[in-house]
This record gives sequence, structure tokens and C-alpha cells, in this order.
Amino acid sequence: MKLSLRNIDRSFGAVQVLHDVTLDLHPGEVHALIGENGAGKSTTMKIMSGYLAPTSGEVLLDDRPVAFASSEAAEAHGVVLIHQEFNLAELLTVEQNIFLGHELKRGPFLDIRAMRERTRHLLDRLDCHVAPDAVVRDISNPDKQMVEIAKALSRDARVLIMDEPTAVLTEREAEVLFSQISRLRAEGVAILFTSHKLDEVKRISDRVTVLRDGHVVAQAMTQAMTEDEMATAMVGRDVSSLYPERAAPVGGEIVLTVEGLTVPGHARDVSFDLHRGEILGIAGLIGSGRTETMEGLVGLRAATGTVRVEGRAIRRDRPRAALDAGIAYLTEDRKERGLLLDKSMRENLTLQSLRDFTRVLIDEAAEDRALDQAIADFDIRAPHRAVEVGNLSGGNQQKLLLAKTMLADPQIVIIDEPTRGIDIGTKKQIYEFIHGLVARGKSVIVISSEMQEVIGLADRVLVMRQGRLAGELSRPDINEDRIVRLAMGLDGVRGAA
Amino acid sequence: MTATDAKGAGAQGRARHLDLKVLGPILALLALILVGALLNANFLSMGNITNVLSRSAFIGIIAVGMTFVITAGGLDLSVGSMAAFIAGLMILVMNGLLPTMGPGWPLVFVGMTTALVAGVAAGFINGFLVTTMRIEAFIVTLGTMGIYRSLVTWLADGGTLSLDFGMRSVIRPIYYDGILGISWPIIVFALVAIAGEVVMRRAAFGRHAAAIGSNDQVARYSSVNVNRVRLLTFVFLGLLVGVATIMYVPRLGSASSSTGLLWELEAIAAVIIGGTMLKGGFGRVWGTVIGVLILSLIDNILNLTDGVSPYLNGAIQGVIIILAVILQRDRKAGA
Amino acid sequence: MRHLAYAALAATLAMPAAAQETQVIGISIPAATHGWAGGMNYHAQEAVDRLEGVYPQLDFVLATASDPAKQVNDIEDMLATRDIDALVVLPFESEPLTGPVAAVADAGKWVTVVDRGLAQEGIEDLYVAGDNPGFGRVAGEYMVSAMPDGGQIVALRGIPTTIDNERVEGFQQAIEGSGIEILGMEHGNWNRDDSFTVMQDFLSKYPQIDAVWASDDDMAIGVLAAIEAAGRDDVQFVLGGAGMKEMIQRTAENDPMVPANVTYPPSMIATAIELTAVGLTSNAPVSGEFVIGSVLVTPENAADYYFPDSPF
Repeated sequence: MKLSLRNIDRSFGAVQVLHDVTLDLHPGEVHALIGENGAGKSTTMKIMSGYLAPTSGEVLLDDRPVAFASSEAAEAHGVVLIHQEFNLAELLTVEQNIFLGHELKRGPFLDIRAMRERTRHLLDRLDCHVAPDAVVRDISNPDKQMVEIAKALSRDARVLIMDEPTAVLTEREAEVLFSQISRLRAEGVAILFTSHKLDEVKRISDRVTVLRDGHVVAQAMTQAMTEDEMATAMVGRDVSSLYPERAAPVGGEIVLTVEGLTVPGHARDVSFDLHRGEILGIAGLIGSGRTETMEGLVGLRAATGTVRVEGRAIRRDRPRAALDAGIAYLTEDRKERGLLLDKSMRENLTLQSLRDFTRVLIDEAAEDRALDQAIADFDIRAPHRAVEVGNLSGGNQQKLLLAKTMLADPQIVIIDEPTRGIDIGTKKQIYEFIHGLVARGKSVIVISSEMQEVIGLADRVLVMRQGRLAGELSRPDINEDRIVRLAMGLDGVRGAA
Repeated sequence: MTATDAKGAGAQGRARHLDLKVLGPILALLALILVGALLNANFLSMGNITNVLSRSAFIGIIAVGMTFVITAGGLDLSVGSMAAFIAGLMILVMNGLLPTMGPGWPLVFVGMTTALVAGVAAGFINGFLVTTMRIEAFIVTLGTMGIYRSLVTWLADGGTLSLDFGMRSVIRPIYYDGILGISWPIIVFALVAIAGEVVMRRAAFGRHAAAIGSNDQVARYSSVNVNRVRLLTFVFLGLLVGVATIMYVPRLGSASSSTGLLWELEAIAAVIIGGTMLKGGFGRVWGTVIGVLILSLIDNILNLTDGVSPYLNGAIQGVIIILAVILQRDRKAGA
Repeated sequence: MRHLAYAALAATLAMPAAAQETQVIGISIPAATHGWAGGMNYHAQEAVDRLEGVYPQLDFVLATASDPAKQVNDIEDMLATRDIDALVVLPFESEPLTGPVAAVADAGKWVTVVDRGLAQEGIEDLYVAGDNPGFGRVAGEYMVSAMPDGGQIVALRGIPTTIDNERVEGFQQAIEGSGIEILGMEHGNWNRDDSFTVMQDFLSKYPQIDAVWASDDDMAIGVLAAIEAAGRDDVQFVLGGAGMKEMIQRTAENDPMVPANVTYPPSMIATAIELTAVGLTSNAPVSGEFVIGSVLVTPENAADYYFPDSPF
């Protein structure tokens, strides 16, 4: 089945977000839709799948105009959107999720046997080995993704639209997904996906459409475009060097010493140093305890061990202790732990440093000035100042989160997944910002699941495996092969530390 | 779009966005006042206004505290029972010390201190169980609601605790007198409301309470001491229950197991009518004040009017409460 | 009539208690949620304590309920697990309790119903009742005698129930044609705070009120406070009811605002328990209906109705 958009315009109030968008999804073809945050990708996908109606233009299904009244209507036509945040009931089983709202029945009763049978069949087809009666909460992210796809297939999806399917997957997990996508393509399903990872786009898509500011700026067979060309089309300028050159040398002074940090159930006996002006990368598979170690370090989790800042041991039993010692931790989960989505930018910006804006009362004028400064410094783009932060794009949320963290003026910044779900132009801005920090004598720890990010940014890399430090790599030795070997436990040699 | 564009668009967008949700409760209040004035000429008399405002004070003072608890994502069902218990305690302490201290302001002062200390202690117990023991606020306060109600019944031996007659004339002015013709309960209510509004909007405590109600994980990751702020909202509410009790006891000089019955629901209703979100994350004290006034005006108007069967009073209250909330529905639709 | 009951009791006390098996009397009453109920709880407990000494062969099970559903549970539990021989019940509400109490009677147990009748006649062996229409009538007759030339009054009603309706009807019949006009009537719910509020509003609404029928002493206290606060001197008196000790005391002391009271004694529960004990342990006939009339209390006889130890 072929799904086409013809000359689609879409406005929200006075703001037009899509201009004359035309594209075709062919059966048995994988189509990548790329663009910066706010370029109009989400709106395009929502119009395809019936969540939004176009302001003008046509949606065609096998060349006949259709008007989906709702996402349910689109699903009835075999067009299914899989959201970036999984739309699964965490406490139900895989099988219950797949048939949610479409339960098979025998007479008045649920036909559990038939549903289990079909679930097994669907999962087999996807080469996914999760049990039909497993509770969704307990299965891994890629398995959840497979369950979403199985759910779509159970509704006879012929057009599958995926919003950043690899954003929450590790590279290995993404591989599994890609092989499933190839399988579906072979079965004649039309697939559209978005991604910020251009290497992925290059590898698995057949055709690519680039959006910028709501316009289609490029549309081609994937093999006809290089990654650089894609990036240039997205940003409208040359972005060939994503990672800035190191401007200032790493200082010799040790600012942070961690000794024997143990986070029960997550990390054991982690020790390392951090130098002034250094970017320290932390790599490892998801589940290797990277995030938990850092949360233990700043007191967000119960932990034992010693943390010294410039020689002075810090307490971790009070929420502000780490911050007062100059350590700020920027969470990987900006929607659930980083920002208050139903509050304005101003309230979010100053939440962590409210003390600095308060004498007896909060100085709202000073807050406003801080927001002006943050908007300018971090290039935060918002429709208006009172906008609820949940309505900002991911990249702008991340910039606001950075601004919020930096407002407390920390000497040591721990950034967990600095660019997850963020477009390439914003990524570059964030990398430049990180370099700016170390140039000013601050020290940065970057946790990332993106190998290229760690390699491109870090002066030194610690690799974690199963809650322990598996090894340390310094500048000339930092490469993908060494990191993977350490992370997978193939290479237990520790560097000099 | 540049930063300067953002500012201009922001001002307009905000103004439009705010209108209905702000005006909703005010419109409801004005409509009630209009209806009252049309139905009875005495409605706008000084005497009636004083009556309505004074009797609103108990629930009103408590509801200001409740606004903070609800904004921080909590709930307190125990305030009515707590008020009854504190009133009983205050009367017992004053009666007990009367032979040694004699009637007079020192004894009134002791009674007031008792009420405030008992309120803070009761609020602390609720807050401690909710934060440190991690029990749902609904369950904790449902439990303490029953405990305080039983305790006051037990203290009163199933009957009524009455302040010794010698003390009544000394303490009476706290409810009935005032300055410049404005009675003390009205003055105290106004001061509590103004202080509450300022704290909610302009103090770090109010901002932190809203942040916790909005998403306590975000607050925790933003170095906010979540447990302490939550605990303080309950302590603050307990203190205000103590203040309300200080106003209440002088009125009739007695407390029984029926004192403060259903005050918790009236206070919660006032908070919600005022536009605070029941699930937390957003609160406004001035709205709560309007909610309290709406609730007491309904009673007042029904008493001043003939033609409506008293059996239907509850139904009319219910309809007006729901209407007042529907008037602010724009909030949700706009989001 | 109360005295009659004690006389009968005294007669049975003289008889030696026959050596027989322990018998159990279950007592189910509403919890002490307002003054009168508090007094009733006090008298029930007091009767139980006293009778346990008098009748060693009797066991008493006392349960208080805060709502009708809880009371039904209490009664079912008593029948199932305590193996009661008699039930003394003051029903929270007539309708919901009729079935469960009938089940007790069907099981062959003695049933004494107090104050509030059941919805179906003939279930109980003994009915000890207050006289609600009489309560209203006595109050109305006093109003008529106190205001021979008529006048304007307001009335406060209790919680909307049959009891309240019967009282108000009795009152209205008694004042019919006397020239007394009821300006307004609202529910004060037998509650001091509610009646204070209602009276404040009555005072705003009516410039001239000659007297108030508060119909209950708790409500009378709220009404008196509202009048005092408003500084109005047009109200000549407030007539409460049920005989709360503080109010009886004020009547005895010739307080002009509280010139009289009408009894509705909470101790009727004690009468019922005693009569049931007599019925179980002796051959004295106690079945039938036992109405405890409402009596007008005036400064002359107030001393007879003042019980300083009762909480009510």
C-alpha cells in the first residue's frame, strides 16, 4: 500500500509549520525523514497517521484521497504510528498489550489461547524471543519496540511510521531493530522512520526526505546522498566538523577524587580522578551502572565511598550537598527528571538555584534577566516566553536543562547523555558549549551511549561493565574497538590509573 | 525566531491564555453576590457581610494551608477532626489552669500557645508519616482523622467540653471584637491569606511546593529537599488549624465530637474551586479565598431566601461548586 | 412513667436470682456524634455497669455504630458470634435496620426497640419510645402560653429525619390559631455551629423576632450566641429541648432567655436495658409499648431534671 502526501500545509494558530510538503511511501521501501528539531518531522508523521489534519493539501492512500478522522481511522486503513515514548501499558503482559482494545473473543469470553498463539506467531515473525506472558515492565527497550511493532502488525499495518525508533536503543539493540526492518520491507510493508543518526539513515533507508523549517529541502534515493550532504541540507550550512577542536590543554590539578564508590545493586568499588579543564567520558553498555554511579556520586542514590572535591570530602546525605561543593548532575531523563513540563521556562531555569534569586522573596525581575541571558547564551528557541516547557522541542528542552544546571555555576558538570534525541545542529551547539566550559577551567564528565560522541569529546574515557570500571583509555588510544572490547569484557586490561 | 520575537509573542499569548482561568472563580463570586443582593435587601448590609466573613474565617484559614499541601501533591483529610481535638485540648488546658492562674489574658495566652503547639505537632505527625514513612497522604490523614475525632469524643466523654464560664467573657472578644469595626477573625483571615499568597507566588517555599507537586523527581534532581518541603506544608497547615481553632473556641466556648465536622471537605472544595489542581503542581491562594467565600455565600443566600426547600440546600451547593470549576475548564483545553 | 419503671424494677430485684445459665443481652446504639447521643451512650454504659453487678447471670455486649450499615454489621455479629438472648437496639434509621432486627426476632430472641420505631410493626417484644409529636406539642403549648397575644418566631430543625418531622408537626399543630407566626424554618442539624450560622442569617433577614424555637439544647446554645453577638433585644426567649444539664441549670437560675425546656431523656436507653434484663430474668410482664413522655421543665421543677454527672 502506498501512502502519499501532496502539497501539505499545516498551521498552528498564526504559525505555519509545514509548507507544501509532498512525499511518497512505497510498499517494500524504507523512507527516512530527517531534519533538525522543530523542522516539522513530528507534524508530518502525525498528519500521515491521522493524529492531525492538514490545513490544506491531500493525503492519498494508493493514489485515492483519504481523510483520517483520527488515529483509529488511520489504523483501520493499516497506517500505524509508533511513538518515540512507547505507548504500552507497563503492567500488562506482552500479549495483553498487543491485543489491547482489539481482544479476540469466543462468545462473551476472551480467547486467551488464540491471542497467545497469534502473539507467538507475530513475535516469531519479528525474530523476537520475548515470552507472550512476560510483563512489559520487565522486558528490555528493544523488546518493547518489537512489541510495539508486533502490535502494529496485529492490526494488519501496511504502513509503519516510527518516530526515532533507535533513540532509546544501544547500538547493539539497534542492530536487532534494523534486521527486523529489513524483514518487514521484504514483506512489502511501507516504512517511514526519523532519526538523528545519519549513519543509520545511510545504512537502512532506501529513500530520504530532508525537512528544514517546514519545507522539503531535499528528497533523493539514499545512495545518492552522503552523510555530509544530508547534514548540510538539514542545517542549511556546513557541519562537517561536528566536534570542535580542543582549544585549551587539560590542567594538571585534580579537582575530583572518587574512592571506592559503591551503589548497592548497581556499581561496586568505582575509583577515579578528574582534572581541571578535563572532559572525562564514561562509556559502557546500557545497564552497566554508569548513570547509577554518577547519581550515587552526587547523593541522589544511597552509596558508600569517598568523594573529594579539591581535597575536601563532601557529604552526600543532603540534597544540596553536592551542588554546594560545586558538582552538578544533568540527568539523561529530561522529561521525567530534568524539567517540569507543565511549567514555564523561567520557573524551570531557576528551580535549582532559586536561593540565588531569593532574599526574602523571589526577585522575578532578576529571574527574567537570567532567562533573557539563557535564551541568548544557549540559543533557546521558543514560540513565546510563557510556553509550557513540555511544548518545546527536545533540543530546546536540553538547552534549557543545560542553562538551568549552569545557573548554579558548578565547577564540575556531569552530563548524562548530552544529546539524546537531539538534531545534529543542536548537537554541535552542545559540543561547542561543553568545550567552552573546559576552556573556562571547569571540568566535565560525559556519559554517552553514542560511541562517536565519547570518542569525539573525551580527553580520557572510563569504560564500565557490570557495575565496575573495566578500563581507562587516554587520548591516542580512544577508539571504537578498544571501548567495545572493554565494554563487552573481551579486554580486561586496565590502563594506568 | 529570535529571542526578541519570543518576548513580544509571549506577552500577548500569556494575556489571552490567562483570561478565563483567572476570571472563572471571580465571575462565580460576583454572580453569587448579585443574586444575593437581588433576593434580599439585607444581603449587602454591614452586619451580614461581617457575619459571612467571620464565619468563613475558620475554613478560610485552614484552606490557605490546604492550598500548599495540595499544591505539593498531598492531601489532608484530618483538619476537621484536628480542629475539634485542638479545641477540646485548648478548653481542657484553660479549664485546668483556671483555678491557679485565674481568668485573664495570661490564661488566654496559654490557651493560644496550646492550640498552636498542638497544631504544629499534629501537622508534623501527618507530614512525618507521609514523607519519612512514605505512606500515602490520603491514608495517613484518613487514619489521623479518625484518631482525632475519637480522641475529642473521649476527652468530652461523648458529650461537650465547655469552657468554664469565668473564662468565656475574657476570651469572647477574640471572635466578636475587632478594630475599626472589623472583627478579629476577618483580620486574621486576611493576614493569613495575604501572607499565603505572597509565600505561594514569591517565596522559594511556594515555588518548591509547586515543583514537587508537578514532578517530585524533577524537584529531587534539582537539589530541592523534597521531604522537608512536603513536611513543612503539613506543619504549616497544622499551625493554621491551630490559628483557626483560636478563633473558633471563643465563639461558642465549647467543643464536641461534632466540632469541625466535614471542614476538611469544605476546605478541599474551596481550594479546588479556587483553581488549585487537585493532583498538585499549581496552586493559588487568592483563588482559595474566593472559593471559601463562594461556599459560605451559598449557605448565607439560601438562609436569607424563601422558596427553596431546605432539603435541597446540598444540591444547590453541589451544582454551584461544579459550575465554578467548569468555568475554569479553559485551562485544560488551552494546554 | 419513668418512676413506674423503677418501681417495677425494685420489685424484681427483691427476688432471688435463680441459678441458671449465663444469658447475653446485646445492645446496639448509635455512636456519640452529638450531645444527646453522648448522653445516651453515657446512660447505656452506666446501666450496663450497674446491672452486671445486680444480675451475675447476665452478660452485656455493647456496640456503638457511626452509621446504619455499621449497625447492621454489629447486630449480625452479635447474633452469629455472641449468641445473644436479647437485643436492645436504638436504630440509626428505621428502614435499613428493620430486616436485620426482624432476623434476630425470628431466631427466637427477645427484641427491645428504643426511641426510633422499626418500619414494620410487631417485630419487637418491647418498644421503649420517646414521644416526638408530644415533644413538639409540649414546646408549642409553652410558646402559646408564653405569648398569649401571638408573635413572630423562627424555628430551627434538626437533621432531616422522621423524628424531626414528627416534632415539627406536633409543634405546628399546637400553635395553630394562636396568632404565633413562624417566619422561617431552617435545618441547624442539632449542631451548635450550624445553628449559630442559621440564626445569624435569620437575624439579618428579619428585623423583628419575638422568640426562637431551637427544638434542641445544642442548637439553642448556638442561637443564644448569635443573638448575643448581634446585640438584638427583640428576641424575648429561646426554647430548646432534650434537657441538657447546662440549659436546665440556666432555667433553674431563672435566666429570662431560657425560661423553659422540654425533656427527651437520653436515659430512656437505661430504662430499656433494665426492662429487658427484668424480662429475661423474671416472670414479670414487660412486653408491649412503653412511652416516655416529654415533660415541660420550668424553674419550679428544674431541680428534678438536673443530673450533674451526665455528660449531657
